[in-house]
Amino acid sequence: MNQFRYVSPKTIKEALEILKEERANACIAAGCSNLLPNIRDKKLSPKLLVDITNIGELKGISQKNGKICLGPLTTIAELVNSKLLLKEYPILHQAAEQFADPVVRNNATIGGNLVTASPAADIAVPLLTLDALIKIDSAIQKREVGLKDFFIGPGRTVLREDEMITEIEFESSNINKNGCYIKLGLRKAMAIAVASIVINLEVKENKIVQVRIAMGSVAPTPIRLTATEGFLQDQEVDDELIEKAINKVREEVNPISDIRASDEYRRYVSGVLFKRAFKKISI
Amino acid sequence: MNYKMKKVNIEFMVNNKKRRLSIKVNELLINILRNNLNLTGTKYGCGIGECGACTVLLEGKPILSCLTLAVEVDGKNITTIEGIGEDKLHPIQESFLKQGAVQCGFCTPGMIIAVKSLLKENSTPTEEDIRNYLRGNLCRCTGYNQIIKAVKSCASEQKTN
Repeated sequence: MNQFRYVSPKTIKEALEILKEERANACIAAGCSNLLPNIRDKKLSPKLLVDITNIGELKGISQKNGKICLGPLTTIAELVNSKLLLKEYPILHQAAEQFADPVVRNNATIGGNLVTASPAADIAVPLLTLDALIKIDSAIQKREVGLKDFFIGPGRTVLREDEMITEIEFESSNINKNGCYIKLGLRKAMAIAVASIVINLEVKENKIVQVRIAMGSVAPTPIRLTATEGFLQDQEVDDELIEKAINKVREEVNPISDIRASDEYRRYVSGVLFKRAFKKISI
Repeated sequence: MNYKMKKVNIEFMVNNKKRRLSIKVNELLINILRNNLNLTGTKYGCGIGECGACTVLLEGKPILSCLTLAVEVDGKNITTIEGIGEDKLHPIQESFLKQGAVQCGFCTPGMIIAVKSLLKENSTPTEEDIRNYLRGNLCRCTGYNQIIKAVKSCASEQKTN
């Protein structure tokens, strides 16, 4: 493996000073479940690894003022075990349970899943339907970016060289409690999604009050299907609506062909996943 | 800037023994366990975190040692397969042998560590629980059925004890 230096700051302030100084030479390391294979494959060649796992301020799941706050070092295992999340957003809990396997989940972090920015990112897809807010700090400024604006391409985010995620926040809301997550993979476990979907839905007297749809692996980044959402808004739920919505979904996704599936298959199956998920929660 | 890699000193517990090593920062935990400490029970399977053969316990939780830098375990507590069952076989190991769950044995150390962790979290796992928990531990020989039987049998024996 390539050589690198290693440093283990104890506070966010310390870590940000290091990033300010080292900029593109530095790479943040937490669970390392993607980082180490990438370094060994020479896809990444950081000169300095900044191990943030000792920074307590980046850990924890909490609730304040009607908002749920997740530290970026929250492991996927912690998402699975969190009673608060099970109550507030069971879909995130479901997605976390289907993530890799129990052993990897002990190390893999939500910060890591977001920063790796795979179009298939399993934790990003449910977080997108929550309109999650990403808090980003550098040594000179703090800013907030909506998750829908966070990804700019496969493996690319808006994070600058001297920045790191310090918190992920979303509003507690009833719509979060009626949802469905489906991940389609080439095998039942340890699979990178061929396509995945999360729908959160609020229906009153058979009319759609609010709907949020996010999908993974069907576009350069995880996406919200805002056009389909707009189409469904205020509509009466019936089979005809669902069939029309399926077409909207298929128009809205923008998949590619890769070793796991063709673009045509992904486009087609997006509609199928939509129908399955929607029917499950709208009845 | 001079990026020549320095060696760092780490001190940690392995199977209840304190060990001190001087290592480069890019060393993986699996390699120092096998090469520096001669604890070759933990196996190098895929090296990318997909097969589970390298599973060890860190602070009592299972992790993949091929995805862990050795520097990260400074000051911490590790258990490898050599630390499971010391004077005599651990009940999980007994069960694996009785049920024919060991063929070539390559997946076995990682599998047993994962099973130990499963039974700690859930002492009465169903078949689905077992298959779900062990989904990151791949076996090319047994077809998994004997492994599942071994876990069930061990769990029910632990229950009656």
